[in-house]
Amino acid sequence: MGIHKKKKGNVALFFVGTQEGIKSFGESIQTLVNTILLTIVYLGGVGTAWLMCKISGRTFFTGKPQQEAKTYWKPLDLKKKPIEEYRRQF
Amino acid sequence: MYILGISCYYHDASAALLKDGVVVAAAEEERFTRKKHDTSFPLNAITYCLKSQRITMGQVDAVGFYEKPFLKFERLLGQHVQMFPKSLKTFVSAMPSWIHEKLHIRKSIKKLGYEGEVYFIEHHLAHAAASFLVSPFKKAAILTADGVGEWSTTTWGIGNEKEIQLLGEIRFPHSLGLLYSTITAYLGFTVNNAEYKVMGLASYGDMDKKTNSYYEKLKQVVDIKEDGSYTLDLKYFKYHYADRMPSQAMEKLLDGPTRKKETEVAQRHKDIAAALQLILEEAMTAMLKDLSKKTHYQNVVLGGGVALNSVYNGKILRNTPFKRVWIHPNPSDGGSSIGVALYIYHTILGKKREKQHQLSHAYLGPAFSTEEIQQFLDARGIRYSKFKNQQELIASTAKMIFDNKVVGWFQGKMEWGPRALGSRSILANPCNPQAKELLNEKVKHREHFRPFAPVVCADDALKYFDCDKPLPEITDFMLMVYPIKKEWHKKIPSVTHVDGSGRLQTISRKQNHLYYEVIKAFGKLSKIPILINTSFNIRGEPIVCTPADAYTCMMGTGIDCLVMGNFLIKRSDNEQDQWNSEHDAKD
Repeated sequence: MGIHKKKKGNVALFFVGTQEGIKSFGESIQTLVNTILLTIVYLGGVGTAWLMCKISGRTFFTGKPQQEAKTYWKPLDLKKKPIEEYRRQF
Repeated sequence: MYILGISCYYHDASAALLKDGVVVAAAEEERFTRKKHDTSFPLNAITYCLKSQRITMGQVDAVGFYEKPFLKFERLLGQHVQMFPKSLKTFVSAMPSWIHEKLHIRKSIKKLGYEGEVYFIEHHLAHAAASFLVSPFKKAAILTADGVGEWSTTTWGIGNEKEIQLLGEIRFPHSLGLLYSTITAYLGFTVNNAEYKVMGLASYGDMDKKTNSYYEKLKQVVDIKEDGSYTLDLKYFKYHYADRMPSQAMEKLLDGPTRKKETEVAQRHKDIAAALQLILEEAMTAMLKDLSKKTHYQNVVLGGGVALNSVYNGKILRNTPFKRVWIHPNPSDGGSSIGVALYIYHTILGKKREKQHQLSHAYLGPAFSTEEIQQFLDARGIRYSKFKNQQELIASTAKMIFDNKVVGWFQGKMEWGPRALGSRSILANPCNPQAKELLNEKVKHREHFRPFAPVVCADDALKYFDCDKPLPEITDFMLMVYPIKKEWHKKIPSVTHVDGSGRLQTISRKQNHLYYEVIKAFGKLSKIPILINTSFNIRGEPIVCTPADAYTCMMGTGIDCLVMGNFLIKRSDNEQDQWNSEHDAKD
């Protein structure tokens, strides 16, 4: 009985192991495909945007202290808005 | 009316539930999943919140999310465009989670069976609301500072009744929070986790601006204007395009490479921590002074992760013109779930703020009944005894602590926020000079330099601590460090930090009767009514939530006994060495 149980355990273990192996293989493939696709998007999309920003002189942030500036505070006017504004994710 | 607030996907995911504007339940996801600072969608925390009120998602009137995901995504894309091609690696690693989950928050909420409206508010507005709308103030100046939200990293504004207006901001990548995190990483600690260790380490360094050479060095990294506004010199940082924070220029400036984890902490590291703390305090004081000038308000509320800097918090009223200060017990991202829920209730829906909406305690998490605890103990075959009544529980616990036993204290509703406040605490004798070492080495497995916090009844605080007068309400949340009066330093050595300070928690009978009485009973035995209160966990683990978590933690550490509900469980009575907590302790 004990041996039979052990045999069943080994078979089950084999299937569980195989399943886990396939899952892990699938995840590796997914990561590889994601990496390739995202690299293409990065080089094509982000790279193009970068080029356009370079040409137009647009920057998203500055990286150097400005000694002549009096303050680094930027004005903000975040107050109660119409309710529809809060339904938006942007 | 029920309103559910959610915060997730950055750090410390959480959920909070309001009933007619009163916070009735709130918890962080990490307590249920046992993954510290868990970022995932807080399904367990939401389930707890609903269960606590015996309602379903269908009965929730509104749901709020603590930031605007698309604005944050826009910032992320802007970062990648600006830093092209250096940001390739982070782009590839970050995008899948944005595409698969972070941009689909509405869908995740609807999947729970919720049909109503989902509201999104800006990240710093959620921080501001979390502090102001549950504060005792009708009007207050507001300052929020954290790592980053959408674009803002620091904001100032005003709160007036149920309205909040944020009027100024400092934008990413310039961030006091990220500066603190960068130096945390440089000092070999984990970002978004161990910033408080750097704060503790600072006391061992040279806190004199004139003699600490790293102060002048770090001043090259950040330019602070007279009004406290600041900017960073990005050549010292990499976080805006890479998966590490300090750049080689920073390493050169600070005379060496980033410290490797678990290696020796040298005096140089302590001085760097001290210099960082000095700079943070300088910027915060200047900002608050300017804020006082701009608003003419006497009250100030703080929000964001920087408001967890209890060393600085204890200096606010001494160093600025403000007369009163209030900070949410969970001011970091975790607390924003309460912030967004409150903003919906008061500001969007226009409901009046009343006294009952104030947050007077932080006991908002799950509780376990006597029956549930006994069921657990019996099911696991754990040996225990039952206290006859509360008097016996109080007297026995105080006596065990007086006899230098380390006591696990598991009572009532779990605390909200990062601090254990007497529901899931480890208690010990502060008069025992060995208690600090014992707790650090055998129980918490943490660095020797980290101090332990004292808890004292509110009516005794002024005798032992050099506190602000009147005592600010937020000392109840362990958010203020104050000097311990000199005559007590040697009498309570285990809670007296190297600089003579203590991060005290005050407690009143009304807030937590049992905890209060144990402290008083200990005071009768020792003549000093103060206890060591440290969180019930080991390093790297979230604070315990359930009886099973508490028992497991005790059995793997040097905790001598567990007072759980009405039951006393002694480690010596039960099977030893269930697990090796020292092996599992991590940053």
